[in-house]
Amino acid sequence: MSSIVTRRAFLKTSAATGASLLFPFCFSSSPRKTTNTDPTAAAPFLPNAWLELESDGGAKIWCGKSEVGQGVRTALPMLVAEELCCDWRRVQVVQADLDPKYGDQLTGGSLSVRTSYENLRKAGAAAREMLISAAAIEWNVPHSECRAENSAVHHPSTSRSFAYSQLFAAAAQLQPPADPPLKNPSDFRIVGKPTPRTDTAQKINGAARFGIDTRVPGMLIASLERCPVYGGTVRTSNAEKVRKMPGVRAVIELKPAHLTHQFGDESGPGSRNYSCAGVAVLADSTWSAMQARKALEVEWNEVEHAQETTASLREKFVKLVSSEGTVLRSDGDFEKAHASAAKKLEAIYEVPFLAHAAMEPPNCTAHVRDGECELWVPTQIPGAAAESVAQALGIPRERVKVHVTFIGGGFGRRLIQDYAVEAALISRDAHAPVQVIWTREDDIRHDFYRPAAYHRLHAGLDPQNNLIAWRHRATSPSIDIFYNGTGISPRGAAQLDGSSFPAFGVPHLRLEFAVADSGMPLGYWRSVENSGNQFVISSFFDEAAAAADRDPVEFLLAVLGPARKINSGSDSVIDIGRRRRVIELAAEKSNWGKPLPKSAGRGIAAHFGYGSYVAQVAEVSCDSATGNIRIHRVTCAIDCGTAVNPLGVQAQMEGAINFGLAAALKSAITVNRGRVEQSNFHDYEVLRLSDAPAAIDVHILPSTEPPGGCGEPGVPPIAAALGNAIFAATGKRIRRLPIRPADLRAP
Amino acid sequence: MAITFTLNGKPQSVEVSPDMPLLWVLRDTLNMTGTKFGCGMALCGACTVHINGEATRSCITAISSVAGKKVTTIEGLSADGSHPVQLAWMEEDVPQCGYCQSGQIMSAVALLSKKPKPTDADIDDAMSGNICRCGTYQRIRKAIHRAASMPAGKAKSAA
Repeated sequence: MSSIVTRRAFLKTSAATGASLLFPFCFSSSPRKTTNTDPTAAAPFLPNAWLELESDGGAKIWCGKSEVGQGVRTALPMLVAEELCCDWRRVQVVQADLDPKYGDQLTGGSLSVRTSYENLRKAGAAAREMLISAAAIEWNVPHSECRAENSAVHHPSTSRSFAYSQLFAAAAQLQPPADPPLKNPSDFRIVGKPTPRTDTAQKINGAARFGIDTRVPGMLIASLERCPVYGGTVRTSNAEKVRKMPGVRAVIELKPAHLTHQFGDESGPGSRNYSCAGVAVLADSTWSAMQARKALEVEWNEVEHAQETTASLREKFVKLVSSEGTVLRSDGDFEKAHASAAKKLEAIYEVPFLAHAAMEPPNCTAHVRDGECELWVPTQIPGAAAESVAQALGIPRERVKVHVTFIGGGFGRRLIQDYAVEAALISRDAHAPVQVIWTREDDIRHDFYRPAAYHRLHAGLDPQNNLIAWRHRATSPSIDIFYNGTGISPRGAAQLDGSSFPAFGVPHLRLEFAVADSGMPLGYWRSVENSGNQFVISSFFDEAAAAADRDPVEFLLAVLGPARKINSGSDSVIDIGRRRRVIELAAEKSNWGKPLPKSAGRGIAAHFGYGSYVAQVAEVSCDSATGNIRIHRVTCAIDCGTAVNPLGVQAQMEGAINFGLAAALKSAITVNRGRVEQSNFHDYEVLRLSDAPAAIDVHILPSTEPPGGCGEPGVPPIAAALGNAIFAATGKRIRRLPIRPADLRAP
Repeated sequence: MAITFTLNGKPQSVEVSPDMPLLWVLRDTLNMTGTKFGCGMALCGACTVHINGEATRSCITAISSVAGKKVTTIEGLSADGSHPVQLAWMEEDVPQCGYCQSGQIMSAVALLSKKPKPTDADIDDAMSGNICRCGTYQRIRKAIHRAASMPAGKAKSAA
């Protein structure tokens, strides 16, 4: 890949620009050797790392990304099978372990389909071309006269056919083509067709093996008491006493281990990405380990951060937005335009820290022996797990073997490899295979959190109610400094994008960011800073529409301007036509403008990023006596370019909306004395079925553009769509998340 | 002392601490990992099983309280994934990550055994103890209605 764009930088910029990065296509130099030693069975065909054709007509296709629920074990094999021209019903999907032959196995940034679209099709096409070549040689006809279909090669002019399996031996003698031709999208038979997931059967009968279901002979279970203040260390403990308790097999003290930067960049000086210090209790069963852990008494060396509270951080926020921050963008002359505006608006918006709270608690099984380590780990980056573990153990990375399991939700939490390092260090010291299982309390208290943020915005309208001035000052702790260190530039540390909407639509616009210092561990939470920023931007924009007394959809389209392509200054192009179309479609499908009963309302918001365009309309009603909200319907329009699996796109939009609504309605992490105050689902609440919208309608725009991302772009708009709908229903403006019923009760 | 109960239609005996929750007996002692650990406090429903036909959170159910009772887990719902609720889950393509779905399905089966034609309000009441972070709630609702509309008589537990 390009040495200029680091992956971390790419994840960050791609969110805003929709740029697409194609990883180089490479095959191993020759076809794989078959491992089938049964002389009576026909050897399968193994043209490259991604696929194996069986003599019975079936195919195995490897998935090189991690299945966190987003459907990569369906969408990615579809790309291979499309060009392979095989029978989709006979495809068996195999999860790839960590192996360089699968390229970059990072699963994040809504990148999996985008970065696989070319190379996985080429993997299938290479196999197809080899099989066609083998048939053409056998028939002594030109390659161009043959075509592949349904696991067979045909020569239409002579009506001859070979089943693929008849060609395996001959094809295996051929060199794989370096750059095989790809199908015209109009010839697609699998890609673009609504395709049920390949993993559902094993997820409805308990058979799917998640990380926590790993069973290794002789395995011990470890439950780990961690320092309640991030970055602290163990001062003293009663480990000796606990070690003697019945059922306890070992008690092991852990020091913090610096984690390899998850995206492979250097973690510079001042980076704070560590696993936690703690004391681990090991037993034969999970229950025994958890029970014995309760007898631990540990005193900690706490760090400076032990003084931090949610209120003290908020005081920093308030101070930081009272003066100018790092200027990320300055168009026209905001001060002058705002001073002369006919109408002026100002507002403060706030969002809290958030935990990921994936349903499968963090866990990892590790077996360290003979200078090697084997991991069974639910991770979004098996390469970073290997790297971090190798570094912590002081062994070469090549000696860490990583098995990727099914993963009970990712949302960005499993980009961080702290739990893999814990398991490896404990296994080393216990001289046994060890499974570390986090309790839900561990998970809520020791996450890498979506940063809290505080925003101060100003806007100005001209006498004709056009939006002429916009200033957005944001502050939050910086994820980039947390992982990359304090040497990072102020612009690089910013958690606000300088090219995001309404840039290019407001003549006098200023975007500023100030880094707020915090000791909290920070991480990537589905859609990262966009999750909060888009709530702020699209809500304040709705305030401007209301102040202008203009319809929010009309106002959005007016500020976007006519369909055109804008070069945003970097290597990306902003396509206003695509932005407009999702807004127009969401408005149309939601019956925007049609009357609703009193106390009901609609709100719209959009997000453009990850290579996709999403607009959502929420329709809600509010009970003014209780302040309770009912979400009747969310209408979502998405243009994600080629929708490789429309069923998967639909599921990702539904899931993203529900995930975003949890943050809008329920979840907040607060801090006291450096300690997270929440611990489980009673005080870190998430969306439940009774809270969920009665209906979510997803409309996918037809497109032949390259695929955009789908995992994240559905999250950012929903909180603002909801808040704007609440404003339409009640006249009350939501400026702080999560929304509390008390905010909406009639006085 | 051995504790004896019926597990998925077959007699089962375990020798474990009487206060060990059924969840960990299933997962660690009997190596039946379809039932999931989510919260340990009966807050999320991932560990839902049936005890004498009632949806029960196995993470807070001491094994001693299960003695002599009939326990059904996701593995015992059907031999081949053919329970109407499982079929409906397939047809609606419900799971995403899938981690919560054993519990979701066990709660849905228990609901349908009591209310064969549940309303949306019934579904809200019965299913709101089961958290899904992937956000499959709308499909869960649809799948329960779909299962309810399948031919009667099929929707019963295997055990």
